[in-house]
Amino acid sequence: MYDRKKVLNPQTLLELLCYIAFAVSLCRLTVTGQYKSYVTPKMEPYFYFTVAVMGVWAVSGLFRLFQPRHKVRAAHCLILTIPVLLLLPPHTPINTAALSVGYVGGGAFAGFSGQSGYAAYNPPLPATIIEPGIADDTPSVGVEQTAAFPGLDAEHRKITVANEDFGLWIAELYDHMETYEGYTVVMTGAVFKDPELMNANEFVPARLMMSCCVADLTPAGLLCAYDGADGLSPDSWVTVEGTLFVGQYEFEGTTYADPQISVAKITPAEAVEGYIYPIG
Amino acid sequence: MIPVYVITGFLDAGKTTLLNQLLGGGKPNVQRLVLQFESGEEPLRCQDGGCETLSFPKKMLEREPRQITEDIYGCLLKNKPQEIWIEWNCVAPLSQLRELLSRRSLYRCCRVTKVIHIADAETLEGILGKTGGALPDQIADCDFAAARNASSDGAYRRIKRVLRALNPGIPVYRAEQTEEIRGRLYRKKPRPAAVFCAALAALTAVYLCTAPLFKLPQTLVNTVINVFLGTLLQAVPFLIIGVLISSAIQVFVPREAIERLFPKKLGLGMLAAVLGGFCLPVCDCASIPVFRSLVKKGVPLPAAITFMTAAPVINPVVMLSTYYAFNGSVKIVAARVGMGIFASVLTGLWFALRPSRGAVLAGGFDGAMCACGCYEADADGSTWRGKTALFLRHSQAEFFNVGKYLTVGAFAAALFQSVMTTAPLRGGTAIAASLLVMMAAAFVLSLCSSSDAVIARGFASRFPLGAVMGFLVFGPMMDVKNVIMLSGGFSKRFVGRLLCVVFTVCFLTALVFARYVTN
Repeated sequence: MYDRKKVLNPQTLLELLCYIAFAVSLCRLTVTGQYKSYVTPKMEPYFYFTVAVMGVWAVSGLFRLFQPRHKVRAAHCLILTIPVLLLLPPHTPINTAALSVGYVGGGAFAGFSGQSGYAAYNPPLPATIIEPGIADDTPSVGVEQTAAFPGLDAEHRKITVANEDFGLWIAELYDHMETYEGYTVVMTGAVFKDPELMNANEFVPARLMMSCCVADLTPAGLLCAYDGADGLSPDSWVTVEGTLFVGQYEFEGTTYADPQISVAKITPAEAVEGYIYPIG
Repeated sequence: MIPVYVITGFLDAGKTTLLNQLLGGGKPNVQRLVLQFESGEEPLRCQDGGCETLSFPKKMLEREPRQITEDIYGCLLKNKPQEIWIEWNCVAPLSQLRELLSRRSLYRCCRVTKVIHIADAETLEGILGKTGGALPDQIADCDFAAARNASSDGAYRRIKRVLRALNPGIPVYRAEQTEEIRGRLYRKKPRPAAVFCAALAALTAVYLCTAPLFKLPQTLVNTVINVFLGTLLQAVPFLIIGVLISSAIQVFVPREAIERLFPKKLGLGMLAAVLGGFCLPVCDCASIPVFRSLVKKGVPLPAAITFMTAAPVINPVVMLSTYYAFNGSVKIVAARVGMGIFASVLTGLWFALRPSRGAVLAGGFDGAMCACGCYEADADGSTWRGKTALFLRHSQAEFFNVGKYLTVGAFAAALFQSVMTTAPLRGGTAIAASLLVMMAAAFVLSLCSSSDAVIARGFASRFPLGAVMGFLVFGPMMDVKNVIMLSGGFSKRFVGRLLCVVFTVCFLTALVFARYVTN
């Protein structure tokens, strides 16, 4: 009606702004790839879906902008503003030192026990030992077995694992440890030691693997036998060169075959950014 | 600007009585204008000294709103009141009043300051849901409420709960507490949006100033924030899928159609309940309103219970999110669905063998009227356009509603994960203990079943598989939020019994699973 004053609904306006802020924040996160610090790459389409829904909700809010209510609520908008706020400054990724506190004897359901190798030093819970089949259902790492692997020098029986192929190679070495026995392996990781599970002369050059989100980060890598392991400071980055052999790994009475490295040379390395992901 | 105080309430709730009470011993020498949009049995007693009264019948409100505005404006000019009091009509939505007062002439000189709702504790539950959208709309849009006829403390608590189900967190007074009500009425209230913005600005400033501290690698705060964000970002898309589907069902599928699908025989009913639970991808927040309407329409209680407890565990959205959360493990999904079906059928059977004595349903309060503002009287649910608008609004409201529990849950889980350093509980006797811990966690965290798998995955690094399965099966069926929602529509006795049975059944199922399947 012509003589009616348009009264703004502050709650609708607030919600609308929150949708936009959240969508922009999520979009930025997805486009820049920063979301990989929090969740695995397979979430990417879901994020675009979320951004789209937020957009639709924001537009629908436009139509209700001038339908005032007496009772105005605002606190619920925190649900969207808290993540936006927290995402504003970039976060330092979690490293093994932070995790080793929280993940003593962790290891989730050993979904990758046959593929990634963290079970070697991060034993699965008893329940999963009895149910190794769980691992069978896990989608394979998506590697074509016939494809030539990057860094593989079959002639000299040498594998140089590039940082971006870390996960790929861990999976491949676990799946076909006999094939590669005796090969020289070069790989870079952060020194991870767990006195409860490893001998004094053992350590793992590990990268953190995310199977779902940061809540389930687990160190992954191959166990290395190295007499100077004692002298390595935990969480320092090293490049390891050594010979692959099939070792034994025992946990609560069950023995597993386990690809391990007999170290010949260790050199300090630059820290490698990013996590590794089993799928996608 | 003249303050406007509005009193709403259903017929015979005691609006005029409250008005007399409040005007009786209030500020002296204040010129007041009282507008009555309803003429009850009780006469207004303040017509002497400093009080002018205008009455408008409902018909006039519908047909001649312009005349009403002009009458009010004329009276304002003539009497120059310092306060306006309105006794609003019981079946008219408040939006109509807003419309009247937003006429430019009136908007220039008066503003609604406070809205108080008066409810009769004895009758409110009986009339809610049967008397159209105006009453819940009035309750949802008031600043605070007063309850009449709350004869016992129990009745008072009960009406508080009903009112807060529609308008979370509002203060509820007894109608006799005149001074308190008057004090609350004259108290200046902060503007929520402004407070929110100020708080947000302060929070941002504090956060950005301390951000360098948080950024120090490997502090506890850094870990908690990382884990919290990871859990939340993982869960939000699934939460959105969940609320979209559930809202689509709530809005587009007529309730009668769902109710017709249920056969009346026990066995077939159970089967239909499980199938229905599978086909209706609703999480626990949505299955409870459906459950209530099923019971109301005469579907046998056991089948309805089976439906309500099975639906949040076994539907495709939950299966999909579980599949992803557990990294593509079909066995976990199968175990969750299998145990979910088993436990829900067992719970249903228990209620078939030992039927509840006494009334199961409490009053006439319709649990489907969530506190989402979806019953706003102006929402037209009959056209496609109206339905789409309703769908969008419902999904947003549900998103915020459930998102609240998700945010708190994700934070609790992040904290739990980062702080807890003890070795996980394992071994023979400990499985029962860790199962109890997990089930208690599921109960308290009140996670939406379409996203709880992600959080369960986080717990999986600390607890044995059997205990986590207890979390995955029991959590969606029963938690703090569900119990609160259920007690809005069912008798306390029934809710208590249901909780006990579901808990026992889930505990035993998970224990058997842990002992004989994984061990």
